Amino acid sequence: RSSRKAFKLTHSYVEMHEFMLQIKPKPGLSSAKAAQVLARDGPNALTPPKATPEIVKFLKQMIGGFSILLWIGAVFSWISFGIQLAQGAESPFDNLYLGVVLALVVILTGIFAYYQEAKSTNIMASFSKMIPQQALVIRDGEKKELPADQLVVGDIVEIKGGDRIPADIRLIFAQGCKVDNSSLTGESEPQSRSCDFTHENPLETKNIAFYSTTCVEGTATGIVINTGDRTIIGRIASLTSGVGNEKTPIAIEIEHFVYLVAGVAISIGVLFFIISVSMRYKILDSIIFLIGIIVANVPEGLLATVTVSLSLTAKRMAKKNCLVKNLEAVETLGSTSVICSDKTGTLTQNRMTVAHLWFDNQIYSADTSEDQTTQPFDQSSPSWTALSKIVTLCNRAEFRPGQENLPIMKRVVVGDASETALLKFAEVILGDVMNIRAQNKKVAEIPFNSTNKFQLSIHKTDDPNDERFLLVMKGAPERILERCSTIMINGKEEPLDSEKAEAFQTAYMELGGMGERVLGFCHLYLPENEFPDTYSFDTDSMNFPTSNLCFVGLLSMIDPPRSTVPDAVSKCRSAGIKVIMVTGDHPITAKAIAKSVGIISATSETVEDIAKRLNIPVEQVNWREATAAVVNGMELKDMSSQQLDEILCNHSEIVFARTSPQQKLIIVEGCQRQGAVVAVTGDGVNDSPALKKADIGIAMGIAGSDAAKNAADMVLLDDNFASIVTGVEEGRLIFDNLKKTIAYTLTKNIAELCPFLIYIIASIPLPIGTITILFIDLGTDIIPSVALAYEKAESDIMNRRPRNKRKDRLVNEQLAIYSYLQIGIMQSVGAFVTYFTVYAEQGFLPSTLLGVRVNWENNAINDFEDSYGQEWTKYQRTYLQWTGYTAFFVSITIQQVADLIIRKTRRNSIFQQGNKVIWVGIFSQIGIALILTYGLGHVTALNFTPLRFQYWFVAVPFAILIWVYDEVRKLFIRRYPGSK
Amino acid sequence: MATLKEKKTCSERMEDFRRFVWNPETKLFMGRTLINWVWISLYYLAFYVVMSGIFALSIYCLMRTVNPYEPDYQDHLKSPGVTLRPDVYGSRGLQIYYNISDNKTWDGLVTTLQTFLTAYTPAAQHLNINCTNDTYFFQDTFDGPNKTKLSCKFTSDMLQNCSGITDPTFGFPEGKPCFIIKMNRIINFLPGNGTAPRVNCTYVGDESSLLEVDYYPVNGTFNLHYFPYYGKKAQPSYSNPLVAVKFLNITRNVEHRILCKVIGAGIISDNVYDPYEGRTLLKNT
Repeated sequence: RSSRKAFKLTHSYVEMHEFMLQIKPKPGLSSAKAAQVLARDGPNALTPPKATPEIVKFLKQMIGGFSILLWIGAVFSWISFGIQLAQGAESPFDNLYLGVVLALVVILTGIFAYYQEAKSTNIMASFSKMIPQQALVIRDGEKKELPADQLVVGDIVEIKGGDRIPADIRLIFAQGCKVDNSSLTGESEPQSRSCDFTHENPLETKNIAFYSTTCVEGTATGIVINTGDRTIIGRIASLTSGVGNEKTPIAIEIEHFVYLVAGVAISIGVLFFIISVSMRYKILDSIIFLIGIIVANVPEGLLATVTVSLSLTAKRMAKKNCLVKNLEAVETLGSTSVICSDKTGTLTQNRMTVAHLWFDNQIYSADTSEDQTTQPFDQSSPSWTALSKIVTLCNRAEFRPGQENLPIMKRVVVGDASETALLKFAEVILGDVMNIRAQNKKVAEIPFNSTNKFQLSIHKTDDPNDERFLLVMKGAPERILERCSTIMINGKEEPLDSEKAEAFQTAYMELGGMGERVLGFCHLYLPENEFPDTYSFDTDSMNFPTSNLCFVGLLSMIDPPRSTVPDAVSKCRSAGIKVIMVTGDHPITAKAIAKSVGIISATSETVEDIAKRLNIPVEQVNWREATAAVVNGMELKDMSSQQLDEILCNHSEIVFARTSPQQKLIIVEGCQRQGAVVAVTGDGVNDSPALKKADIGIAMGIAGSDAAKNAADMVLLDDNFASIVTGVEEGRLIFDNLKKTIAYTLTKNIAELCPFLIYIIASIPLPIGTITILFIDLGTDIIPSVALAYEKAESDIMNRRPRNKRKDRLVNEQLAIYSYLQIGIMQSVGAFVTYFTVYAEQGFLPSTLLGVRVNWENNAINDFEDSYGQEWTKYQRTYLQWTGYTAFFVSITIQQVADLIIRKTRRNSIFQQGNKVIWVGIFSQIGIALILTYGLGHVTALNFTPLRFQYWFVAVPFAILIWVYDEVRKLFIRRYPGSK
Repeated sequence: MATLKEKKTCSERMEDFRRFVWNPETKLFMGRTLINWVWISLYYLAFYVVMSGIFALSIYCLMRTVNPYEPDYQDHLKSPGVTLRPDVYGSRGLQIYYNISDNKTWDGLVTTLQTFLTAYTPAAQHLNINCTNDTYFFQDTFDGPNKTKLSCKFTSDMLQNCSGITDPTFGFPEGKPCFIIKMNRIINFLPGNGTAPRVNCTYVGDESSLLEVDYYPVNGTFNLHYFPYYGKKAQPSYSNPLVAVKFLNITRNVEHRILCKVIGAGIISDNVYDPYEGRTLLKNT
C-alpha cells in the first residue's frame, strides 16, 4: 500500500513541477491571492498528532479500572432506593445517599486522575512549543518577513545557510546550496541542491528542498509547492501517528491487578449473594450486602495513589533531565532489558576533540573530557613547540567574539569540526591563540580542498631576529608524508628513512584503528635569501616549495564519549540491561567508541578479533566464542530475521554500524522477538517509527526533531545516556514502591470485607458501614500510600536483572495471599476484638450479639433488650452501631500504621531503613482519624461518633503482633534467601 | 509501545491451565510440589488456629473484665425510650386503624394487649414483693434469693379499666380504646428526681381540640418504687411499670396524631433524631 502512496506522491510532484514553471518569481503572489489560498489550504503547519478528545480521555477515567464496579454499586443502591421508596419503607434515603457517595467517589477520583494526566501532558506541550519560525517571502513585489505558517502554495521564498526550510520548495535559483536531510532520509552528509530536475522521485531530485530540513550553506530561492500536512514530512508524520500506542508494562500490570481484585470482589460478592439469598435474606438486603462487599473489596483510592506516585517519580526524573511524556513510561524504563542507543550525542559529546598526538616517535594521549582546562601530556619536547605552532597557525577556525568569560570548551567557534577541535586544543594548552596568530602574521594561505587534501599557510614569525617565513601544512597524513623529506625528532630534523616511515605507518594505523580521524602536520622555514621579507607569495602559481618539508607529527581526533557514559554503561550491565549501539558511523569508529564506553568490554572479542589473534580466516572462527559483534548495516540488509535473532541471542555485546534509521526498526523488532523490553534512543524524523515501535522511545531534547519527540515516550533534556540509567533506577524503584503501596492497600480490604461476611453469616449488628470504609480508603490511607512512593531503594536495585514481564508481576499470588490471608486476617481479628469490646462495655455481650440482626435492624422494636436487661430504642441501637463503626475504623487505622511500617521494606528490617515521609503518613493517618471521630463525630450522616479514648488502644497489641510477625518473616527471608 | 501479550488461542490457554494444575514433567501441582502444598496447608492451619486462639483469648479477657451486673458505660442510654402497646407500625411509625363494627380489624390489637399483659398476671408476678413506699427503692445489698435483689410487683389489675380483666376488648368496640405505655429499662436510672414521672398524651398539630384521656394508674404515673433498675442478673423477675391510657373522645374517621410523653426530670423527649426517646407518637383513626 505504501508503494502506491509513494507513486501518487511522485505523480503529483511532477505535475506540480510543470505548473510551477508558469509562476513569475519577480512580483510573487499578491497579498489578496495569498490570503485566498491560505483560506483554502489552511496555515502552513503540521497538525499535531490527533490527540484523543479530552472528553473521551475524561470518560475513560470515569469507567476505567474499578470505576465500573463502583458504578454498579451505585446503580444497585439507587435501584434498592427505588424499590424501598415504592414499598414506602421508613428510611430509603440511606441507599440514595450511598449511591450518590459512590458516584461522587468515582467522579472525583476520575477527575483527579484526569487532572494528573493532563498536567503531565501539559509539561510536554509547553516543551514542544517552538519559537515561531520566520520566512523571507516575496509578495506584491516586495520582500517580507512573515511567520512561516502564513506561507501558501505559490509563494516565492528566499533561504540562506542556517535557515530551516519553511515548506516544501521547488528551487528556481540556488548558489552553493546544501541541505541537511538527515532528519528526513537519514543521510548524514549535507546534500547539494540546484535548480535541475534530476529525478522522478521527489526525494531524490535535487531541485526540491523539504519542509523542516535545514539549509546548511549557500542561498536559494524557490516556489512553495506544498504546505503543512501536504508536505513530505507532514505525510510521514501523519503515517507514524496512525500507529496506535500499545499498553505500557505498568498499564498491563495495573490491569492485571484490577482484574485480580475485581475478580475477588465479584466472586465473593456473588458467593455471598447466593449465601444470603439461600439464608432467606430478602433480595433487596442481599443486594445491599453485595454493594458492601464490592465497596470493601475495591481499593477506591489506589489508582489515584498510583497516579500520584508515578507523577512524583516523573517529577523527580524531570529534575534529572528525563522528561516523561506518558506517566506510565516511568515504570517501563525500569523494566527495560535492552537499550538501543545512538552513538553521536548520546554516548559521545557530539564534538570532535583531539584524542592522541604522535611526535618524537611516540604516541601521547590527550584529555578528552568535557571540561578540560589543561593537558597533562609531556610538553617539554621542542618538537611539540613546533607542532603546536603548526596547529595554531594552520587553522582558519576562530572563536566568536565576546566569549572571553566562558570556559574554552563551551565557546562557539566558526569553522568545521576538526579545525574547531584543533583550535580549542591549542587554546587550552597555549592560551590566546588569536594573539599568537596576530603575532605570526599570515601572508598566504591555501584552504583545504578535496583534491589537494591539505591546507597550507605561510606566516611571518614572531621572533624579530628571525626574518624567515614559516610554511605550515596539515592534511591527510599519507599526503603530508609524501611531501616530506625529513622528520623532526626531539626538535632536530632528521632524514626520513624507511625505518622512520615505518614508525609513522605503525602510529598512523594504530590511531586509525582506534576509529580516530588522523591529521598530519609538517612545516618548513623558507630560506631567507630566496624568500626575503618583501617576497610576494602567489597561491595560484604556488611560487613556494610544497615538497621536501619537515614532518613534525600527527594529531588524531574523535568525538569522545561523554565522561559519565562508561560508568552508566557498566551500571546498565550490572543491572542486567544489554546496551546495543546503533550508529551510522564507520564500524571502526563505532567499535572504538563502544570499547571506550564499555559496550564492548575490555576482555571480549569479536569474530574478527579472534581471527586476528589466532591468525586464521574469519570463516574458520567459531562465532560462538565471540561475545561481541560488530554488525555492518550492509550485512544487516541481507540478513533474514532468524539470522538477526541468532546474532541478538548469541552475542551479549553488539554494535550495529553504518545502519540506516530504517534498520533501527528491524533491530528493535528483533530484540522484541526475544521478549525484551526495548528502550530506543533517537533524534531524527526517521527514527520515529523505531521510537514508536520500542517499548519506550527516548528522544533527544537538544538534537531531537519534533517528530522524534512526538513519537517518543520520554525526552532526555541533556541528550545524555547517563540520564537513561537514572531513569531506569527510578523506574525500578517505583515498581518496588508500587508493590509496597498495593500490598499496604490490599491488606485492609480483608478487614473491611470480614465484617460483611460475618454480618451475613452470624447476623451480628453491622461492624462497619460502607461510608466508613470509603473514609478509610479515601481518607486515612491515601497519604501513607503516597508516602511509600518516597521509600528508598533496598540496596540491590541496580544489581538485579530487569524484571521478567511474564513472571515478576506487580501483584503476584504471594503478595495477595500474604496480604489477604495473613496480615489481613490479623487486622480483622484486632478490629473485631475492638468491636466486641465496645459492644460488651455498652451492654451487649458477644453472646447476645449473635443472630440479632433482624430484630436489631427492625424499626418497630424500640425496647430491644441487651445482656443486662436494659431496653434500647432503634435510634439508641443505631447510635451504638455507629460507635461500633467508629471503633472498627479506628482499629483498622491503628493497625494500618503497623501495616505501613511493615510495608516500608520488603526484606530489610525496619531498623535498617528510615524514611521521613513515612512519619508524615503516620501522623496524617492518625490525624485524619482524630478529626473524623472527634471533629465530625456529631455529623450523623457520616456515621462517626466521638469514641471513648481507651478504644483507640484495643487494637494496639494486634498492631504490635503484625509488626513482630512481619519482622520475623523478613528475618527468615534475609537468613534463607531464595526459598519460596 | 509494543505489544507485550501475544494472543493465545482458547485451547492453548486451556492447555496452559491444565499444565499449571498438574505438570507431569516437574511434578508440580498448581505450581508447587505436593509436599510443599502439605507444608503450606499445615502452616496456614497452624496460623489460623493460633489466630483463633488469640481471638478467643481476647474475648475471654474481655468477658473477665466486664461487670456481670451492670455495663461499664451507658453512653447511649441517657434517657429511656417509651413504647406503646399494641405496636402496629406503618411506614411512618406507629399507626393504628380499625373499624369499630368489624371485629376482625381490632381482634389482633386486643390479642396483642392480652398477650403483653400475661407477664403481669399475679402468677407471673408471684416472685416480686408488694411495695408501698412512693420513693425510690434503693437496695445496696442482695436481699433476694440466690444473690438477687428484690423487685416490686406490678400486676395488670393496677391498670383498672384497661387491665383487660373488666373489659377484655379494651374499649375498642366503643371507640374508646386503651393503649399501654411502657418506659424502657435503664440500669440505675432514676427518673423524675424524686417525683414520679407521669404520662401525658395530647393531639399534635391540632391544639384547639382537647384530648380527653383516662390514665391508669391514677394520674398516669410510674411509681418511684420501681426504680432504680439493677439489671437482669440482680433482678431477674423485674417487670416494667406500665401506664394505660384510654382515649375517650376520639373523633371517628379523622386521622389524629397523638403524642404521649413521659414527663419527669431526667427524661429527654425532644431528641429530633430519636422519635421514641421519652415519647411515643401515634396515628389514630
